[in-house]
Amino acid sequence: MNDKNENIVEVLITQEAIRQRISQMAEEIAAAYRDCLPLLVGVLKGCVLFMSDLVKQIGIPLEMDYIAVMSYGGIHRPTGAARITKDLDCVIEGREVLLVEGIIDTGMTAGYLLRNLEARQPRNIRVCTLLDKEVRRIVKIPIAFRGFKIPDRFVVGYGLDFRQLYRNLPYIGVLSDEVTGLDRNQGTKIFL
Amino acid sequence: MAARIAGYLGFVLVDKARLAQLSGEMDLDEAGLRKVDKAISEQGEIDAETEACVRLLQDLIAQLAEEQDLVIIGRSTQGLFRDRPGTLHVRVIAPREFRVRQVMVHEGLSERDAKRLIKGMETERARYLRLLYHLNPADPNLYDLTLRVDRLSIDQALKMVVTALDEMGLRQVPRDRIVQDLLPPVPEKRDNGRFANAAEREFAHFLEFYRIPFEYESRTFPLETDAEGRIIEAFTPDFYLPEQDLFIELTTMKQSLVTRKNRKVRKLRRLYPEVNIRIFYQRDFYNLLAKYGLLTDEQVSSE
Repeated sequence: MNDKNENIVEVLITQEAIRQRISQMAEEIAAAYRDCLPLLVGVLKGCVLFMSDLVKQIGIPLEMDYIAVMSYGGIHRPTGAARITKDLDCVIEGREVLLVEGIIDTGMTAGYLLRNLEARQPRNIRVCTLLDKEVRRIVKIPIAFRGFKIPDRFVVGYGLDFRQLYRNLPYIGVLSDEVTGLDRNQGTKIFL
Repeated sequence: MAARIAGYLGFVLVDKARLAQLSGEMDLDEAGLRKVDKAISEQGEIDAETEACVRLLQDLIAQLAEEQDLVIIGRSTQGLFRDRPGTLHVRVIAPREFRVRQVMVHEGLSERDAKRLIKGMETERARYLRLLYHLNPADPNLYDLTLRVDRLSIDQALKMVVTALDEMGLRQVPRDRIVQDLLPPVPEKRDNGRFANAAEREFAHFLEFYRIPFEYESRTFPLETDAEGRIIEAFTPDFYLPEQDLFIELTTMKQSLVTRKNRKVRKLRRLYPEVNIRIFYQRDFYNLLAKYGLLTDEQVSSE
C-alpha cells in the first residue's frame, strides 16, 4: 500500500508511522477528555482519513461532527470572504470541542474557524492536527495535539489533496513541482 | 592565503561557502549556486534566470561591502569593484605545474583530475567576468598587485598585501564610497491601485478572504539618522497584522532587489528586536498559490 504514485517524489511519512503516531495521539486525547464528553469537529475534507483512524483509537465516549469552509479562489476568481459551506449539525455552546485538522500551515483556515466557533460560546475549544507546517504560519494557532511537524514541502495523501486528487494515498507524500506548477514559476516573474 | 589575510586584518572572508550561506536568505540556496556555476561553465549562452542569479550575487557582494570590510575570492569582483576607491585587487599566479601539485595535495585528486578542475575554474571565472563586465581576467590593468605564490610564503604574501593596503591608504576610505552608485535604488512607487504590485494585491485579497485584519504600509521604522537626527534610511513593511502583531514583507519583486530588502530587514531586526517581522519570499508566495491550485489555469480545489 505504500507504493509510490508516479507524481509523488518522496514518501514523507509512511502509513506505519502515521498509524503509530495516531495511536499515541488518541491516548493523549483520551487522557485530556476523560472527565467529559468531547465533541470532535473534523474540518472537511482534509481531516477525513485522519479523523476516522483517530476516533477508533480514542477509548472514551465522544461525539463527532464535521465542518467545511470555502477555499480561497484567488484574486481573479472573486468569491468575497470565506464562508462555511457545511456547518455543524449540533449546538456547541458549553461543550468541550476539539477541532480536528489534517494539516495546518498558514493557519488561515483554522484561525477563521476558531473565531467562528468561539463565537458560539463552547466551554472550551482546542486544536488537533495531524500535520503542522509551522514554518509557514501567519496566524498563530494554539495546537493542543500535533501529529508531525513537517518541513515546507507540498504534501498530499492521507486525506490531503491537490485539486481533489491524492486524498486516497495511505501515506503523506511530497507532490512533484511539475504537478503543482511550482517548477514553471520559480525564479520567473509572478502572476497570474 | 585569503583566510590568513582576512584573519590578520579582521576582515570578513567571502568565499563560496559564505556566499552560499548568505544567498540562502534570498531564495538561492547552495544547490542554486552550484546550478548557476554549472550553467556558466558549461553553456555558451546562459538563460535569463541564470543571468539574474549571477547579477543577484554581485548585488549581494556589494551590499556586504557596504556593511563590512571584506576579503573576497573570485566572483568577478575585479569587475564589480574595478577602479573603485578603497579596494585592492590582487592577482595570485603560479606556474601551472605548481598549481596542479597544490590542488592534488589539498583536494586529494589525481593529476588528471586536478588539471581538469583548474581548467574548469579558469573557464568559469573567465565566463563570469566576460558575461558581467565584458572584461578579460588576464588583463593586467584589472589588478593593483600580482603575487607569484610559488616564490612566496603565505607570510610574505600577507605582508605585501598589508603593505599595499597601508601605502595606498585604502583602509581610510569609508565603505559607502566604495559602493557608491553600485546598488540599485529600490522603487517604492505604487501603481494606479492601492497596492504597489500584483503580489501585494493578491496577498491583501487573501487576508480579506479569511477576514484577517491588516494594515497596509502602516508603520515606518527609521533605520539610520544623520548627525542632526534626520532620517536617512527607513523601512516600511508591506503589511501589519494587528491580531498577530506581525509585520509581513513581500519580496516577490525583481530578484536583484531582494538582497537590499533583506539587508533592511536584518537591520530592522537588529534595531527593533521586539518587532515581529516575516519576509514572504517569492518561493513562499508560489507555495501559497500552489496550495490553492492557483499556479495553473483551471478551477481551484477545496481543502
